[in-house]
Amino acid sequence: MRRTVVTAIALASGSLLLLDLMIVNPALGSVAGAITELLVLLTAAAAIGGAAALVAHHARDLRAGTGDPVGSALVLGGIAAVLIAGLRPGSAGSADPAVRWLVAALLAPIAASVFSLVFLFLLSAIRRGFALRPVETAVMVGAASVVIVLLLPIGGSIGDWLASGAGWVRSVPLAGVFRGLLIGIGIMIAVGATRTLLTLDRDGE
Amino acid sequence: MASSPAPEPGAGALVARLRRAAPALVVLLILGAASFAPANGETDLRLAGPDRSHVDAMRSAIADLPGGALVLVGLDADFGTYPEIRATVRAALSDLLAHGAQLGFVSFTPEGRAIAAAELDRLAREAGISAGAAPADLGFVAGSEAGLVRGVESIVPAGATGPIPDAIRTGGGGIGAFSLVLIVSGSDLSARSWVEQVRPRVPDLPMVAIAPSFLDPELEPYLRSGQLTALLSTLREGAAYVQVVGAGTTPSGAPPRPLPILLGMLIALGVIAEAAFRQLAGRSGGRGFQRTSP
Repeated sequence: MRRTVVTAIALASGSLLLLDLMIVNPALGSVAGAITELLVLLTAAAAIGGAAALVAHHARDLRAGTGDPVGSALVLGGIAAVLIAGLRPGSAGSADPAVRWLVAALLAPIAASVFSLVFLFLLSAIRRGFALRPVETAVMVGAASVVIVLLLPIGGSIGDWLASGAGWVRSVPLAGVFRGLLIGIGIMIAVGATRTLLTLDRDGE
Repeated sequence: MASSPAPEPGAGALVARLRRAAPALVVLLILGAASFAPANGETDLRLAGPDRSHVDAMRSAIADLPGGALVLVGLDADFGTYPEIRATVRAALSDLLAHGAQLGFVSFTPEGRAIAAAELDRLAREAGISAGAAPADLGFVAGSEAGLVRGVESIVPAGATGPIPDAIRTGGGGIGAFSLVLIVSGSDLSARSWVEQVRPRVPDLPMVAIAPSFLDPELEPYLRSGQLTALLSTLREGAAYVQVVGAGTTPSGAPPRPLPILLGMLIALGVIAEAAFRQLAGRSGGRGFQRTSP
């Protein structure tokens, strides 16, 4: 029964949004606008709920002395710093200079540093991969090596040849496989959504 | 004869740890040294691609804008891939400002908002824009794609003041008030969402996009179908665009240097070849697949 109600709500709101896209009607537009506002609010509430759950989890870890106390303290300290900077009286919110400084001087460089280590971790993973799954790793790494060679930043006629090769790889085999995957995923989503809307998928009842 | 003292277990562990970390440290040192080395010897290296069609499309989309046109910058890049497109984005912003565009920044993802805030700060510091022509900060819109749909009707925050927010309100208050949208894509919300959600509602609005390489297979069909007016989605295209625009004269707008990239690629190829040969040697020695130390 509960499932049917949820399905009916999804069907009704989806149909309204679709109709609003196809028909110019002020009343329909208002209803679709209200649904969109509700969706925005729901998403914001979910984000706040997620953040609250994260804080509760790390606060519990700190109190119980479990997990990584330094990491938990840093997470809570970071959240507190941004909240204080953005919500203190007189603050301009996310446009406040203190928030912008926290982001530009701390968050962005820290994130960039962490992501720059991906290069080293990837090389390490390749070596491990050869030991654990040699055939699959060889195929993947072979393809990656070809792409790396094609992307070498070399000038002259060799560079032109490599660049045109990279363009061909991008627009023929890579684009073909990727589009095939997207079409497959699209069909699966459509089938899944149809089954849900027609209540054919009754496992959750 | 006096025997030498046995090494302390702690010292042995430290040496072993240093030995394991040494290759990574050497790689980092090489790449660091290459990044700071003078660029004189890089004449034979070239990052920019020879095919300029994508670059020309982006340039003409910006050049065709009327004077003082409102341009919306939808900045939803992510921290992981933004370094790849940072120089291209900054060149595009310089290009737009040079053509007299009035910019408004909006983000639909938290990471995009953080990057937009940093870019707005940089523009205020470096670009030497007068207060009246400063880009408008339209902030963060919650709701991801639902927020994007909401932005079609209303994109200006209630408290926003200044010539650009006023001009947007005069034009209807939504995304349709703009003459062009520059979409800076990331992993969470890419130009695909803009094409799917905004284009059916504002069909005459030209959209151009800058995206990291991994999004290229997803976005290229939209360019070919004309739903995107221009797209820069590879490092080669980005480097060519930066070169053409002539940005990068400031340190933060400098394009990536080819030498460190080349060295990194050669190191990667070397490690792959070494791992493959070690595996082959293990097999040919009749010892089966050998576990290699990472």
